Amino acid sequence: MSGSNIYKPEMMEITDIVQETSDTKTFRLKFKNESTAKSFSFKAGQFGEYGVFGEGESTFCIASSPTRSEYIECSFKQIGKVTTALTRLRVGDSVGFRGPYGNYFPVEEMKGKNVVFIAGGIGLAPVRCVIWNTLDLRNDFKDVTIIYGARSFNDLVYKRELKEWKERKDIKTVVTVDPGGEVPDWDGEIGFVPAIVEKVAPKAENTVAIVCGPPIMIKFTIPVLQKLGFAEENIITTLENRMKCGLGKCGRCNVGNVYVCKDGPVFTYAQMKELPQEY
Amino acid sequence: MNELRAKAKELLTNGTVKVVIGYIESTTPDRTKPFIARTAEDAEKLVFNKYCVNNLALYLTRKEFRRTGVVGIVAKGCDVKAIVQLIQENQVNKDDVYIIGMNCNGVVSELGQDFSAETIATKCLNCSVRTPLLYHTLLGTLEDLPKREDKNFVLMQKLDAMSAGERWDFWEDEFERCVKCYACRQACPLCYCERCIADKTVPRWIESSAHTRGNFSWNIIRAFHLAGRCIGCNECERACPAEIPLSLLNRKMGMVAKKEFDFVAGMGLDTPTLVGTYNLNDNEDFIK
Amino acid sequence: MEEKIISLDNLSFFVNDLIKDNHIVIGQDSKEINWKRITGAKDIVVNSKNIPSNISYKEFVFAKTEPIIYYKNKKDEFDIVEPALPRQKLVFLGAKPCDARSIEIMSKVFNWDYKDKFFNERAEGSIVIGVACNYQDKFCFCTSVGLSPVTEKGSDLFLVPLDEKNFALQIVTERGKEFIQPYQKYLSDGNQAKSKEILSKIKNPEKRFETSKVSEWLTNNFEHKIFDNVGDICVGCGQCAFACPVCHCFDIVDEECDYSSGRRMKNWDACQFGLFTLHGSGHNPRETQGKRYRQRIAHKFKYYQDKFDEVLCTGCGRCSRGCPVGIDIAEVVAEINSLA
Ligand SMILES: Cc1cc2nc3c(=O)[nH]c(=O)nc-3n(C[C@H](O)[C@H](O)[C@H](O)COP(=O)(O)OP(=O)(O)OC[C@H]3O[C@@H](n4cnc5c(N)ncnc54)[C@H](O)[C@@H]3O)c2cc1C
Ligand code: SF4
Ligand code: SF4
Ligand code: SF4
Ligand code: SF4
Ligand code: SF4
Ligand code: FES
Repeated sequence: MSGSNIYKPEMMEITDIVQETSDTKTFRLKFKNESTAKSFSFKAGQFGEYGVFGEGESTFCIASSPTRSEYIECSFKQIGKVTTALTRLRVGDSVGFRGPYGNYFPVEEMKGKNVVFIAGGIGLAPVRCVIWNTLDLRNDFKDVTIIYGARSFNDLVYKRELKEWKERKDIKTVVTVDPGGEVPDWDGEIGFVPAIVEKVAPKAENTVAIVCGPPIMIKFTIPVLQKLGFAEENIITTLENRMKCGLGKCGRCNVGNVYVCKDGPVFTYAQMKELPQEY
Repeated sequence: MNELRAKAKELLTNGTVKVVIGYIESTTPDRTKPFIARTAEDAEKLVFNKYCVNNLALYLTRKEFRRTGVVGIVAKGCDVKAIVQLIQENQVNKDDVYIIGMNCNGVVSELGQDFSAETIATKCLNCSVRTPLLYHTLLGTLEDLPKREDKNFVLMQKLDAMSAGERWDFWEDEFERCVKCYACRQACPLCYCERCIADKTVPRWIESSAHTRGNFSWNIIRAFHLAGRCIGCNECERACPAEIPLSLLNRKMGMVAKKEFDFVAGMGLDTPTLVGTYNLNDNEDFIK
Repeated sequence: MEEKIISLDNLSFFVNDLIKDNHIVIGQDSKEINWKRITGAKDIVVNSKNIPSNISYKEFVFAKTEPIIYYKNKKDEFDIVEPALPRQKLVFLGAKPCDARSIEIMSKVFNWDYKDKFFNERAEGSIVIGVACNYQDKFCFCTSVGLSPVTEKGSDLFLVPLDEKNFALQIVTERGKEFIQPYQKYLSDGNQAKSKEILSKIKNPEKRFETSKVSEWLTNNFEHKIFDNVGDICVGCGQCAFACPVCHCFDIVDEECDYSSGRRMKNWDACQFGLFTLHGSGHNPRETQGKRYRQRIAHKFKYYQDKFDEVLCTGCGRCSRGCPVGIDIAEVVAEINSLA
């Protein structure tokens, strides 16, 4: 029963780097080991532990879609020790990876329904994963709406993809920046995410809402969705507690009797409401 | 005791202070624990006796008390040394604290001991501040202290007589037990940093692992950070679950400060702090 | 249950044999601070009257610090080397009932779903030789968490002091039976009546609370001033968690060995530290000491029970005896019990 070393990372190579904003980067990573690459699979919403040897590990969601299995991507904001070390890496450098961990978005159950994605700031990373998952299987879903906001134009991540999504006719994409955050030729919305949601969200009927972003955005968006008639089971979000192991061992990530790393990070609002207010 | 309760009650009711930091009985009457009295009713629970070992000055630097207004505190002479040092280091505003000074007849070394010549705390043996140096009210009367040999001092002399190698072995044995619980730091009134050097990660100065290397760097760096600042309350040693004789380090540092710079921490509001003073005539020959 | 007798002298021979047979024998240090590897019969402290050591023996199965991987940099390529784990069997000698169950209890978290081999490889083969406990103070509350000073729960072999010179040796588990097999020569036939009588004379610590009641109260009273009252004085150290036989939290950090190699360490950590749950953004879900203390109580008396059907506490009282500011966990939980 003792098992293998669950803390041992797999080696990955950085094959591409995109500077998303002044402090946020996206890495594209490939497993160095062929057989790991072949056997690896994950579901939208899961996360991993990304490590820089000598510096430590950091938790990020997998930001690419499971439908594109030849690589994984992660986007991270430079905020502390490990993220600073990651920022210094270049294409060709090695990164340790443990994962995939945690539960996932109920993509199967979302099929045949309308989906509205609502994200703020770097919160678009986990949502991007399920957006591409949905778009790659576009015919399985009904109407798709994307609402994304950031503090300012400069804080918007995945700018190329935002443009691509906007140009697509089979989805509706609305991008907004906080008042004062626009640039001269800004053609998107100006206003906070909750207000935009109220304006452009689809009917609640047969619709699932996926909401990720800073706690303050989530706090004000959920009442709006409820007002629009979304049932608590159809509002899905993620919790981001501080993690170390990702394996339900180190005792750091719990909210009440729930380990966010194992029982989460994806929760419906109905589930979240049952948790003690400690996230 | 009645005096103390009456005083605390008076201060709380007439608005002189917002809270009184004091002691109450714990699990058994021979154990006390810190208590924050906020009302006249709370004040009725306060006690002061030979079991009041905690140095309550610890709580003065808590964020929640920084903006509370005047804070009352029950303090023995050694606790007042910590308060004086905190005022000197600009951590506590002199006008924001009301000291209920206690004439002190010694306390036990550890919570839960009976008071006797065997158990009286080492720091009490040669105490020169049984009547606090600074107070707003003084309560209690002085009695004779029980006497015993200062074994700690004897051990210190023994260590001094050792070769560097032997001393290293002695400390290696002791530090080996350290579990990095930081109780020493958390119990110390002068370890008030918002972010301790041990918790800094960019860069990491002290390895957080509790192995020989990490334990040496932690304990030695902590001792250095308290040189000329430690007021000898010995709370660190009392708090340590691994029973590492931390006082040997701190006391030695204090003796060096006394010998080389004629400085004793926490002894007066008019003496500038040791590490805050630069004097061209300072001895440097102890640096080897 | 089979019962034998082992004399104090034979216990020494037995321990010497164990060491010779390549076992790691671990016993309480004579200074009662922690547990140590016993190097010979002279180190043996099997005493039913001693106080639980300040720090429990969990560090031998859940190390206070240990490498989980080593890495070497060979020009931009990293070589990962797995640390070797000891192959010898651990024998815990003289575990009180409040220590004996610790491995079983911690094993739940280290084995639900993912399995932690660093814990398992040490814990799985280990043998716990327990001893009936004849020590008791105000801080003991084993009876409140389903144990007692005389229970053999958690032990593979269980010693009962019969007189100055002899112990009864109860063979509790199959594992214990197998283990003792080669050492039969040190055992003589036992008389269960005598040990029964002795055990029946040992007084139980007073039962302070009902765990089911406490857990239910915790479900319904997440916000309560009882936690803030403790938070008022708790200094947020790691004493209570690090002394505890069942606290299992850890941190993962990298450190250098030299310029081109390093290791990733798994180090004890504690929920009472202010930095434990601090997010990169500065947000902290448990920003006050009161909230952190609530986690300590709720994890032990509710969450772990909900999840793993065990109370995360053996009632040893270590955390209370050692708390620098005199916080007594049984007192807090008993107060909760009185509110429920
Ligand atoms: C499930 C999950 C998914 C996540 N997904 C993403 C994602 O997709 N993208 C993303 O960007 N983030 C994500 N995060 C958050 C991310 O894990 C953290 O931002 C990241 O781990 C920070 O790592 P770090 O080592 O750089 O920070 P650390 O250095 O560990 O810093 C963390 C904390 O320590 C403090 N700190 C450290 N050093 C110092 C110092 N010297 N002085 C003062 N304070 C200091 C910081 O204030 C901070 O609170 C996710 C988190 C979770 C749990
Ligand atoms: S270092 Fe120890 S003796 Fe000195 S002030 Fe701090 S707690 Fe007191
Ligand atoms: S209190 Fe003792 S064991 Fe804890 S960190 Fe300090 S020296 Fe180490
Ligand atoms: S030992 Fe006491 S002071 Fe330290 S964290 Fe635990 S309860 Fe708080
Ligand atoms: S919580 Fe305290 S009493 Fe309970 S097992 Fe841990 S140290 Fe012992
Ligand atoms: S009480 Fe705290 S330190 Fe102990 S296991 Fe629970 S969360 Fe971890
Ligand atoms: S991150 Fe370690 S338990 Fe969840």
